[in-house]
Amino acid sequence: MKRRLPLMIVLVLGIFGAVAFVIPHPIVKSIDETMRNDVLRIITAFSLVLGVGSIIQHHLIKIRRKAEHWPFSYIALISLAVSAAIGLFGGIDPASPGILPTHIGGFSFHMQALYDNIMIPLASTMFALLAFFMASAAYRAFRARNLEATLLLIAAFILMLGAVPLGRMLIRPLPDFAEWILTVPNTAAKRGIMFGIGLGSIATSLKIILGIERGWLGGGG
Amino acid sequence: MGFWNKLLKIDRRWIYTIIWLVVMIPLLFPFKIKPMAMPPVTRLFNYIDTMPEDKALVISVDYTPDIQPELHPMCIALLHHAFATKRKVGLLTLQVMGLGLGEAAIRQVTEEFNAHATTHEDSIINGEDYVYWGWTTPIITILLGMGERITNVYPVDYYGHRTESLPIMKHLKNYDDIGIVVSIAGSSIPISWVNFANTQFGVPIGCGATAVSAADYYPYLNSGQFTGMMAGMKGAAEYEQLVADKFDELGIKWELRRKGTEAMSSQTAAHIAIMIFIIIGNIAYFVIRRRKK
Repeated sequence: MKRRLPLMIVLVLGIFGAVAFVIPHPIVKSIDETMRNDVLRIITAFSLVLGVGSIIQHHLIKIRRKAEHWPFSYIALISLAVSAAIGLFGGIDPASPGILPTHIGGFSFHMQALYDNIMIPLASTMFALLAFFMASAAYRAFRARNLEATLLLIAAFILMLGAVPLGRMLIRPLPDFAEWILTVPNTAAKRGIMFGIGLGSIATSLKIILGIERGWLGGGG
Repeated sequence: MGFWNKLLKIDRRWIYTIIWLVVMIPLLFPFKIKPMAMPPVTRLFNYIDTMPEDKALVISVDYTPDIQPELHPMCIALLHHAFATKRKVGLLTLQVMGLGLGEAAIRQVTEEFNAHATTHEDSIINGEDYVYWGWTTPIITILLGMGERITNVYPVDYYGHRTESLPIMKHLKNYDDIGIVVSIAGSSIPISWVNFANTQFGVPIGCGATAVSAADYYPYLNSGQFTGMMAGMKGAAEYEQLVADKFDELGIKWELRRKGTEAMSSQTAAHIAIMIFIIIGNIAYFVIRRRKK
Protein backbone atom coordinates (compact mmCIF):
# COMPACT_ATOMS: atom_id res chain seq x y z
CA MET A 1 0.00 0.00 0.00
CA LYS A 2 2.92 2.30 0.84
CA ARG A 3 4.01 2.14 -2.80
CA ARG A 4 0.69 1.42 -4.47
CA LEU A 5 -1.09 4.53 -3.18
CA PRO A 6 1.41 7.07 -4.61
CA LEU A 7 1.45 5.14 -7.88
CA MET A 8 -2.36 5.25 -8.06
CA ILE A 9 -2.41 9.01 -7.32
CA VAL A 10 0.15 9.65 -10.07
CA LEU A 11 -1.76 7.45 -12.54
CA VAL A 12 -5.13 9.13 -11.93
CA LEU A 13 -3.87 12.70 -11.68
CA GLY A 14 -1.39 12.28 -14.53
CA ILE A 15 -4.08 11.07 -16.91
CA PHE A 16 -6.56 13.67 -15.67
CA GLY A 17 -4.01 16.50 -16.04
CA ALA A 18 -3.39 15.56 -19.68
CA VAL A 19 -7.03 14.84 -20.56
CA ALA A 20 -8.34 18.07 -18.97
CA PHE A 21 -6.49 20.07 -21.64
CA VAL A 22 -8.65 18.60 -24.40
CA ILE A 23 -12.06 18.25 -22.68
CA PRO A 24 -13.75 21.66 -22.39
CA HIS A 25 -16.67 20.30 -20.25
CA PRO A 26 -17.48 22.68 -17.32
CA ILE A 27 -17.13 19.96 -14.66
CA VAL A 28 -13.72 18.86 -15.97
CA LYS A 29 -12.62 22.51 -16.23
CA SER A 30 -13.81 23.24 -12.70
CA ILE A 31 -11.94 20.24 -11.21
CA ASP A 32 -8.86 21.18 -13.26
CA GLU A 33 -8.98 24.76 -11.93
CA THR A 34 -9.29 23.55 -8.34
CA MET A 35 -6.38 21.19 -8.82
CA ARG A 36 -4.21 23.93 -10.30
CA ASN A 37 -5.22 26.88 -8.16
CA ASP A 38 -5.64 25.19 -4.78
CA VAL A 39 -4.19 21.69 -4.59
CA LEU A 40 -1.01 22.48 -6.52
CA ARG A 41 -0.40 25.60 -4.43
CA ILE A 42 -0.83 23.72 -1.17
CA ILE A 43 1.63 21.06 -2.33
CA THR A 44 4.09 23.79 -3.38
CA ALA A 45 3.75 25.46 0.03
CA PHE A 46 4.61 22.15 1.67
CA SER A 47 7.66 21.81 -0.56
CA LEU A 48 8.80 25.24 0.63
CA VAL A 49 8.51 24.13 4.26
CA LEU A 50 10.37 20.95 3.34
CA GLY A 51 13.11 23.00 1.63
CA VAL A 52 13.61 25.33 4.60
CA GLY A 53 13.52 22.40 7.01
CA SER A 54 16.05 20.52 4.93
CA ILE A 55 18.53 23.41 4.75
CA ILE A 56 18.27 24.03 8.51
CA GLN A 57 18.80 20.34 9.24
CA HIS A 58 21.76 20.16 6.85
CA HIS A 59 23.57 23.06 8.50
CA LEU A 60 22.75 21.97 12.06
CA ILE A 61 24.28 18.55 11.33
CA LYS A 62 27.37 20.26 9.87
CA ILE A 63 27.76 22.39 12.99
CA ARG A 64 27.20 19.44 15.34
CA ARG A 65 29.78 17.31 13.54
CA LYS A 66 32.17 20.21 13.02
CA ALA A 67 32.35 19.24 9.34
CA GLU A 68 34.59 21.09 6.90
CA HIS A 69 33.83 24.87 6.80
CA TRP A 70 31.25 24.45 9.59
CA PRO A 71 31.51 28.10 10.78
CA PHE A 72 29.94 29.14 7.45
CA SER A 73 26.86 27.16 8.43
CA TYR A 74 26.30 29.65 11.25
CA ILE A 75 26.37 32.47 8.67
CA ALA A 76 23.87 30.59 6.47
CA LEU A 77 21.47 29.97 9.36
CA ILE A 78 21.74 33.51 10.75
CA SER A 79 21.22 34.99 7.23
CA LEU A 80 18.18 32.76 6.75
CA ALA A 81 16.65 33.78 10.08
CA VAL A 82 17.38 37.51 9.70
CA SER A 83 16.16 37.81 6.09
CA ALA A 84 13.05 35.74 6.88
CA ALA A 85 12.25 37.95 9.89
CA ILE A 86 12.75 41.15 7.89
CA GLY A 87 10.80 39.74 4.94
CA LEU A 88 7.90 38.65 7.10
CA PHE A 89 7.70 41.58 9.52
CA GLY A 90 9.91 44.42 8.23
CA GLY A 91 8.02 45.52 5.13
CA ILE A 92 9.37 46.04 1.65
CA ASP A 93 10.80 49.56 1.80
CA PRO A 94 10.25 52.81 3.77
CA ALA A 95 7.10 53.45 1.70
CA SER A 96 5.57 50.14 2.79
CA PRO A 97 6.85 49.56 6.35
CA GLY A 98 6.07 46.52 8.45
CA ILE A 99 5.74 46.06 12.21
CA LEU A 100 9.48 45.52 12.68
CA PRO A 101 11.62 48.69 12.74
CA THR A 102 14.06 48.48 9.81
CA HIS A 103 16.19 51.57 10.22
CA ILE A 104 18.59 52.97 12.77
CA GLY A 105 19.06 56.67 12.09
CA GLY A 106 19.94 56.96 8.42
CA PHE A 107 20.88 53.27 8.15
CA SER A 108 18.13 51.18 6.56
CA PHE A 109 17.92 47.43 6.40
CA HIS A 110 14.46 46.78 4.96
CA MET A 111 13.96 43.99 2.41
CA GLN A 112 14.70 46.08 -0.68
CA ALA A 113 17.85 47.53 0.97
CA LEU A 114 19.11 44.01 1.76
CA TYR A 115 18.35 42.97 -1.79
CA ASP A 116 19.98 46.03 -3.43
CA ASN A 117 23.08 46.07 -1.23
CA ILE A 118 23.78 42.40 -0.57
CA MET A 119 21.99 40.12 -3.02
CA ILE A 120 22.64 42.07 -6.23
CA PRO A 121 26.39 42.73 -5.66
CA LEU A 122 27.03 39.14 -4.50
CA ALA A 123 25.20 37.51 -7.42
CA SER A 124 26.67 39.95 -9.98
CA THR A 125 30.20 39.39 -8.69
CA MET A 126 29.87 35.62 -8.93
CA PHE A 127 28.58 35.82 -12.50
CA ALA A 128 31.11 38.47 -13.56
CA LEU A 129 33.94 36.04 -12.75
CA LEU A 130 32.77 34.07 -15.77
CA ALA A 131 34.28 36.70 -18.12
CA PHE A 132 37.75 35.98 -16.75
CA PHE A 133 37.39 32.20 -16.95
CA MET A 134 35.93 32.40 -20.45
CA ALA A 135 38.77 34.56 -21.72
CA SER A 136 41.37 32.26 -20.18
CA ALA A 137 39.63 29.12 -21.52
CA ALA A 138 39.28 30.65 -25.00
CA TYR A 139 43.00 31.44 -25.06
CA ARG A 140 44.06 27.97 -23.90
CA ALA A 141 41.52 25.62 -25.45
CA PHE A 142 39.74 27.15 -28.48
CA ARG A 143 41.84 25.61 -31.28
CA ALA A 144 41.19 24.97 -34.96
CA ARG A 145 42.33 21.34 -34.58
CA ASN A 146 40.05 19.89 -37.29
CA LEU A 147 37.35 20.93 -39.76
CA GLU A 148 34.50 20.92 -37.18
CA ALA A 149 36.50 22.98 -34.69
CA THR A 150 37.47 25.42 -37.46
CA LEU A 151 33.83 25.87 -38.50
CA LEU A 152 32.90 26.46 -34.86
CA LEU A 153 35.68 29.00 -34.54
CA ILE A 154 34.62 30.89 -37.67
CA ALA A 155 30.95 30.92 -36.55
CA ALA A 156 32.00 32.16 -33.11
CA PHE A 157 34.05 34.98 -34.65
CA ILE A 158 31.18 36.07 -36.89
CA LEU A 159 28.69 36.03 -33.98
CA MET A 160 31.03 37.82 -31.60
CA LEU A 161 31.78 40.54 -34.13
CA GLY A 162 28.14 40.67 -35.21
CA ALA A 163 27.08 41.26 -31.60
CA VAL A 164 29.01 44.52 -31.31
CA PRO A 165 28.68 47.76 -33.32
CA LEU A 166 32.27 47.43 -34.51
CA GLY A 167 31.21 44.48 -36.66
CA ARG A 168 28.98 46.68 -38.82
CA MET A 169 31.70 49.33 -39.01
CA LEU A 170 34.25 46.80 -40.29
CA ILE A 171 32.01 44.77 -42.63
CA ARG A 172 28.57 46.26 -43.21
CA PRO A 173 26.57 43.04 -43.78
CA LEU A 174 28.24 41.17 -40.90
CA PRO A 175 25.44 41.59 -38.30
CA ASP A 176 22.90 40.43 -40.91
CA PHE A 177 25.05 37.40 -41.66
CA ALA A 178 25.32 36.67 -37.91
CA GLU A 179 21.53 36.92 -37.71
CA TRP A 180 21.24 34.50 -40.67
CA ILE A 181 23.45 31.96 -38.86
CA LEU A 182 21.13 32.13 -35.86
CA THR A 183 17.95 32.10 -37.92
CA VAL A 184 18.73 29.32 -40.40
CA PRO A 185 21.47 26.78 -39.49
CA ASN A 186 21.04 27.28 -35.73
CA THR A 187 17.25 26.92 -35.93
CA ALA A 188 17.50 23.81 -38.08
CA ALA A 189 19.77 22.12 -35.54
CA LYS A 190 17.74 23.34 -32.56
CA ARG A 191 14.48 22.05 -34.03
CA GLY A 192 15.93 18.58 -34.44
CA ILE A 193 17.15 18.62 -30.83
CA MET A 194 13.80 19.95 -29.60
CA PHE A 195 11.85 17.19 -31.36
CA GLY A 196 14.11 14.65 -29.67
CA ILE A 197 13.67 16.28 -26.26
CA GLY A 198 9.88 16.49 -26.76
CA LEU A 199 9.54 12.82 -27.67
CA GLY A 200 11.85 11.86 -24.80
CA SER A 201 9.78 13.92 -22.32
CA ILE A 202 6.55 12.27 -23.47
CA ALA A 203 8.07 8.81 -23.15
CA THR A 204 9.46 9.55 -19.67
CA SER A 205 6.17 11.10 -18.51
CA LEU A 206 4.22 8.08 -19.73
CA LYS A 207 6.62 5.75 -17.95
CA ILE A 208 6.13 7.67 -14.69
CA ILE A 209 2.32 7.86 -15.07
CA LEU A 210 2.04 4.16 -15.86
CA GLY A 211 4.33 3.22 -12.99
CA ILE A 212 7.10 1.76 -15.16
CA GLU A 213 9.61 4.37 -13.96
CA ARG A 214 9.55 4.43 -10.14
CA GLY A 215 12.80 6.22 -9.30
CA TRP A 216 10.84 9.18 -7.87
CA LEU A 217 9.46 6.92 -5.11
CA GLY A 218 12.97 6.67 -3.67
CA GLY A 219 14.73 3.56 -2.46
CA GLY A 220 16.08 2.70 -5.89
CA GLY A 221 12.55 1.95 -7.24
CA MET B 1 61.23 26.92 -23.92
CA GLY B 2 60.62 28.94 -27.11
CA PHE B 3 58.69 32.20 -27.40
CA TRP B 4 55.46 30.52 -28.59
CA ASN B 5 55.60 27.92 -25.84
CA LYS B 6 56.04 30.64 -23.27
CA LEU B 7 53.15 32.51 -24.79
CA LEU B 8 50.88 29.47 -24.56
CA LYS B 9 51.83 28.88 -20.93
CA ILE B 10 51.46 32.50 -19.89
CA ASP B 11 50.28 33.02 -16.31
CA ARG B 12 46.50 33.27 -16.41
CA ARG B 13 46.63 36.28 -14.11
CA TRP B 14 47.92 38.31 -17.08
CA ILE B 15 44.83 37.31 -19.04
CA TYR B 16 42.61 38.25 -16.10
CA THR B 17 44.34 41.64 -15.81
CA ILE B 18 43.92 42.40 -19.52
CA ILE B 19 40.22 41.41 -19.40
CA TRP B 20 39.71 43.55 -16.30
CA LEU B 21 41.26 46.53 -18.08
CA VAL B 22 39.34 46.10 -21.33
CA VAL B 23 36.08 45.85 -19.39
CA MET B 24 36.74 48.65 -16.91
CA ILE B 25 38.27 51.35 -19.13
CA PRO B 26 35.37 51.55 -21.62
CA LEU B 27 32.92 51.45 -18.71
CA LEU B 28 34.56 54.55 -17.27
CA PHE B 29 35.16 56.22 -20.64
CA PRO B 30 32.52 54.83 -23.03
CA PHE B 31 32.84 55.61 -26.72
CA LYS B 32 29.88 56.85 -28.71
CA ILE B 33 27.76 54.11 -30.23
CA LYS B 34 24.52 54.30 -32.17
CA PRO B 35 23.00 50.82 -32.28
CA MET B 36 20.99 49.78 -35.33
CA ALA B 37 18.02 47.61 -34.46
CA MET B 38 17.89 44.13 -35.97
CA PRO B 39 14.55 42.66 -37.17
CA PRO B 40 13.67 40.71 -33.96
CA VAL B 41 13.99 43.87 -31.85
CA THR B 42 12.20 46.06 -34.38
CA ARG B 43 9.31 43.58 -34.56
CA LEU B 44 8.88 43.65 -30.78
CA PHE B 45 9.09 47.44 -30.63
CA ASN B 46 6.63 47.93 -33.49
CA TYR B 47 4.16 45.48 -32.01
CA ILE B 48 4.10 47.27 -28.65
CA ASP B 49 4.04 50.64 -30.37
CA THR B 50 1.01 49.83 -32.52
CA MET B 51 -1.02 47.46 -30.33
CA PRO B 52 -4.52 48.67 -29.40
CA GLU B 53 -4.48 51.36 -26.71
CA ASP B 54 -6.82 49.46 -24.40
CA LYS B 55 -4.44 46.49 -24.25
CA ALA B 56 -1.82 46.29 -21.52
CA LEU B 57 1.83 45.39 -21.71
CA VAL B 58 2.80 42.70 -19.22
CA ILE B 59 6.45 42.35 -18.31
CA SER B 60 7.51 39.13 -16.68
CA VAL B 61 10.70 39.92 -14.75
CA ASP B 62 12.07 36.38 -14.89
CA TYR B 63 15.75 37.19 -14.44
CA THR B 64 17.97 37.15 -11.39
CA PRO B 65 20.61 39.60 -10.07
CA ASP B 66 23.53 37.71 -11.64
CA ILE B 67 22.34 38.49 -15.17
CA GLN B 68 20.92 41.88 -14.28
CA PRO B 69 23.48 43.97 -16.24
CA GLU B 70 22.40 42.29 -19.48
CA LEU B 71 18.65 42.10 -18.91
CA HIS B 72 17.68 44.95 -16.59
CA PRO B 73 18.17 47.61 -19.32
CA MET B 74 15.58 45.72 -21.40
CA CYS B 75 13.02 45.99 -18.61
CA ILE B 76 13.77 49.70 -18.15
CA ALA B 77 13.52 50.35 -21.90
CA LEU B 78 10.19 48.51 -22.12
CA LEU B 79 8.80 50.56 -19.22
CA HIS B 80 10.01 53.80 -20.82
CA HIS B 81 8.32 52.80 -24.07
CA ALA B 82 5.07 51.76 -22.40
CA PHE B 83 4.68 54.86 -20.24
CA ALA B 84 5.74 57.25 -23.01
CA THR B 85 3.00 55.79 -25.24
CA LYS B 86 0.48 55.71 -22.32
CA ARG B 87 0.14 51.95 -22.14
CA LYS B 88 -1.05 50.24 -18.98
CA VAL B 89 1.59 47.97 -17.53
CA GLY B 90 1.40 44.81 -15.45
CA LEU B 91 4.56 43.46 -13.87
CA LEU B 92 5.14 40.06 -12.37
CA THR B 93 7.95 37.66 -11.77
CA LEU B 94 8.13 33.90 -12.00
CA GLN B 95 11.55 33.92 -10.30
CA VAL B 96 11.47 34.81 -6.62
CA MET B 97 14.94 36.38 -7.00
CA GLY B 98 13.52 38.74 -9.60
CA LEU B 99 11.13 40.38 -7.12
CA GLY B 100 13.49 43.14 -6.05
CA LEU B 101 14.60 43.78 -9.64
CA GLY B 102 11.03 44.34 -10.77
CA GLU B 103 10.49 46.72 -7.87
CA ALA B 104 13.71 48.59 -8.62
CA ALA B 105 12.81 48.92 -12.32
CA ILE B 106 9.29 50.23 -11.77
CA ARG B 107 10.47 52.58 -9.00
CA GLN B 108 13.22 54.05 -11.19
CA VAL B 109 11.03 54.62 -14.25
CA THR B 110 8.03 56.01 -12.35
CA GLU B 111 10.32 58.42 -10.48
CA GLU B 112 11.80 59.60 -13.81
CA PHE B 113 8.38 60.19 -15.37
CA ASN B 114 6.87 61.74 -12.24
CA ALA B 115 9.84 64.11 -11.86
CA HIS B 116 8.94 65.58 -15.27
CA ALA B 117 5.15 65.36 -14.89
CA THR B 118 3.21 68.59 -14.65
CA THR B 119 -0.33 67.20 -14.52
CA HIS B 120 -2.02 64.15 -12.99
CA GLU B 121 -2.38 62.75 -16.52
CA ASP B 122 1.38 62.89 -17.04
CA SER B 123 2.06 61.11 -13.76
CA ILE B 124 2.50 57.38 -13.47
CA ILE B 125 0.38 56.14 -10.60
CA ASN B 126 0.56 52.74 -8.93
CA GLY B 127 -2.76 50.93 -9.30
CA GLU B 128 -3.92 53.24 -12.10
CA ASP B 129 -1.19 53.13 -14.73
CA TYR B 130 0.64 50.05 -13.57
CA VAL B 131 0.33 47.14 -11.20
CA TYR B 132 3.12 45.02 -9.76
CA TRP B 133 1.64 41.62 -8.98
CA GLY B 134 4.88 40.28 -7.55
CA TRP B 135 5.62 36.59 -7.24
CA THR B 136 3.60 33.50 -6.63
CA THR B 137 4.01 29.86 -7.44
CA PRO B 138 3.73 27.36 -9.11
CA ILE B 139 4.30 28.55 -12.68
CA ILE B 140 1.57 26.48 -14.33
CA THR B 141 -1.05 27.92 -11.95
CA ILE B 142 -0.05 31.44 -12.93
CA LEU B 143 0.25 30.92 -16.67
CA LEU B 144 -3.07 29.12 -17.00
CA GLY B 145 -4.84 31.01 -14.22
CA MET B 146 -4.13 34.41 -15.81
CA GLY B 147 -6.15 33.29 -18.79
CA GLU B 148 -9.21 32.96 -16.56
CA ARG B 149 -8.95 35.75 -13.98
CA ILE B 150 -5.78 37.56 -12.91
CA THR B 151 -7.18 38.62 -9.53
CA ASN B 152 -7.69 34.95 -8.63
CA VAL B 153 -4.02 34.27 -9.26
CA TYR B 154 -2.86 37.45 -7.52
CA PRO B 155 -5.42 38.36 -4.81
CA VAL B 156 -2.95 40.98 -3.47
CA ASP B 157 -0.22 42.89 -5.29
CA TYR B 158 3.45 43.16 -4.27
CA TYR B 159 2.67 46.04 -1.92
CA GLY B 160 -0.17 44.19 -0.19
CA HIS B 161 -3.10 46.01 -1.89
CA ARG B 162 -6.17 43.95 -2.79
CA THR B 163 -5.94 43.68 -6.59
CA GLU B 164 -9.76 43.73 -6.91
CA SER B 165 -9.69 47.26 -5.48
CA LEU B 166 -7.14 48.65 -7.98
CA PRO B 167 -8.64 50.79 -10.79
CA ILE B 168 -6.28 49.29 -13.40
CA MET B 169 -7.65 45.80 -12.71
CA LYS B 170 -11.14 46.82 -13.85
CA HIS B 171 -9.80 46.74 -17.41
CA LEU B 172 -7.23 44.01 -16.89
CA LYS B 173 -9.15 40.85 -16.21
CA ASN B 174 -7.32 38.15 -18.14
CA TYR B 175 -5.24 37.55 -21.28
CA ASP B 176 -8.00 39.12 -23.42
CA ASP B 177 -6.96 42.51 -22.01
CA ILE B 178 -3.24 41.95 -22.51
CA GLY B 179 -1.62 43.06 -25.76
CA ILE B 180 1.63 41.20 -25.22
CA VAL B 181 3.59 39.50 -22.46
CA VAL B 182 7.34 40.10 -22.60
CA SER B 183 9.27 37.57 -20.57
CA ILE B 184 12.81 38.70 -19.75
CA ALA B 185 14.81 35.72 -18.58
CA GLY B 186 18.10 33.89 -18.52
CA SER B 187 16.33 30.55 -18.17
CA SER B 188 13.71 28.71 -20.23
CA ILE B 189 10.74 30.54 -18.66
CA PRO B 190 9.83 32.33 -21.94
CA ILE B 191 9.19 28.88 -23.44
CA SER B 192 6.72 28.17 -20.63
CA TRP B 193 4.92 31.38 -21.59
CA VAL B 194 4.74 30.10 -25.18
CA ASN B 195 3.58 26.62 -24.11
CA PHE B 196 0.77 27.78 -21.86
CA ALA B 197 -0.17 31.41 -22.51
CA ASN B 198 0.44 31.59 -26.26
CA THR B 199 -0.63 28.08 -27.28
CA GLN B 200 -3.70 27.89 -25.02
CA PHE B 201 -4.91 31.49 -25.00
CA GLY B 202 -3.28 33.03 -28.07
CA VAL B 203 -1.67 35.90 -26.18
CA PRO B 204 1.39 37.24 -28.07
CA ILE B 205 4.71 36.65 -26.32
CA GLY B 206 7.89 38.67 -26.61
CA CYS B 207 11.21 37.69 -25.14
CA GLY B 208 14.30 39.26 -23.66
CA ALA B 209 17.16 36.79 -23.33
CA THR B 210 20.82 36.68 -22.45
CA ALA B 211 23.06 36.51 -25.51
CA VAL B 212 24.16 33.02 -24.56
CA SER B 213 20.60 31.63 -24.42
CA ALA B 214 19.20 33.59 -27.38
CA ALA B 215 20.16 30.85 -29.84
CA ASP B 216 17.67 28.53 -28.11
CA TYR B 217 14.79 30.88 -28.89
CA TYR B 218 15.25 31.37 -32.63
CA PRO B 219 12.97 28.41 -33.53
CA TYR B 220 10.16 30.13 -31.59
CA LEU B 221 10.94 33.45 -33.23
CA ASN B 222 10.87 31.93 -36.71
CA SER B 223 7.59 30.14 -36.06
CA GLY B 224 5.97 33.40 -34.88
CA GLN B 225 5.41 32.08 -31.35
CA PHE B 226 7.62 34.92 -30.20
CA THR B 227 6.49 38.22 -31.63
CA GLY B 228 9.98 39.64 -31.21
CA MET B 229 13.09 39.25 -29.15
CA MET B 230 15.87 41.27 -27.54
CA ALA B 231 19.04 39.22 -27.38
CA GLY B 232 21.72 40.18 -24.90
CA MET B 233 23.17 43.60 -24.23
CA LYS B 234 23.02 44.34 -27.95
CA GLY B 235 19.26 43.72 -27.99
CA ALA B 236 18.83 46.00 -24.98
CA ALA B 237 20.91 48.75 -26.64
CA GLU B 238 18.91 48.46 -29.86
CA TYR B 239 15.60 48.75 -27.99
CA GLU B 240 16.96 51.75 -26.06
CA GLN B 241 17.80 53.41 -29.36
CA LEU B 242 14.28 52.81 -30.70
CA VAL B 243 12.82 54.23 -27.47
CA ALA B 244 15.10 57.28 -27.69
CA ASP B 245 13.89 57.86 -31.27
CA LYS B 246 10.30 57.50 -30.03
CA PHE B 247 10.93 60.08 -27.30
CA ASP B 248 12.18 62.49 -30.00
CA GLU B 249 9.10 61.76 -32.10
CA LEU B 250 6.78 62.43 -29.12
CA GLY B 251 8.68 65.61 -28.22
CA ILE B 252 9.80 64.28 -24.82
CA LYS B 253 12.82 66.38 -24.08
CA TRP B 254 14.41 64.80 -21.01
CA GLU B 255 17.49 62.67 -21.43
CA LEU B 256 17.30 58.92 -20.84
CA ARG B 257 20.07 57.02 -19.07
CA ARG B 258 20.83 54.17 -21.48
CA LYS B 259 22.77 51.60 -19.52
CA GLY B 260 22.59 48.94 -22.24
CA THR B 261 24.14 51.28 -24.80
CA GLU B 262 26.79 52.48 -22.33
CA ALA B 263 27.84 48.92 -21.59
CA MET B 264 28.18 48.12 -25.30
CA SER B 265 31.59 49.85 -25.33
CA SER B 266 32.81 47.47 -22.70
CA GLN B 267 31.30 44.46 -24.45
CA THR B 268 32.89 45.50 -27.76
CA ALA B 269 36.33 45.78 -26.16
CA ALA B 270 35.91 42.45 -24.32
CA HIS B 271 34.82 40.63 -27.50
CA ILE B 272 37.78 42.00 -29.43
CA ALA B 273 40.19 41.08 -26.61
CA ILE B 274 38.85 37.51 -26.52
CA MET B 275 39.13 37.26 -30.32
CA ILE B 276 42.73 38.44 -30.15
CA PHE B 277 43.42 35.86 -27.43
CA ILE B 278 41.97 33.12 -29.63
CA ILE B 279 44.01 34.25 -32.66
CA ILE B 280 47.27 34.39 -30.65
CA GLY B 281 46.50 31.03 -29.05
CA ASN B 282 45.88 29.44 -32.45
CA ILE B 283 49.01 30.95 -34.05
CA ALA B 284 51.08 29.61 -31.16
CA TYR B 285 49.39 26.21 -31.45
CA PHE B 286 50.09 25.91 -35.19
CA VAL B 287 53.69 27.14 -34.94
CA ILE B 288 54.46 24.58 -32.19
CA ARG B 289 52.69 21.79 -34.09
CA ARG B 290 54.67 22.58 -37.23
CA ARG B 291 57.95 22.53 -35.33
CA LYS B 292 57.08 19.18 -33.76
CA LYS B 293 56.44 17.73 -37.23
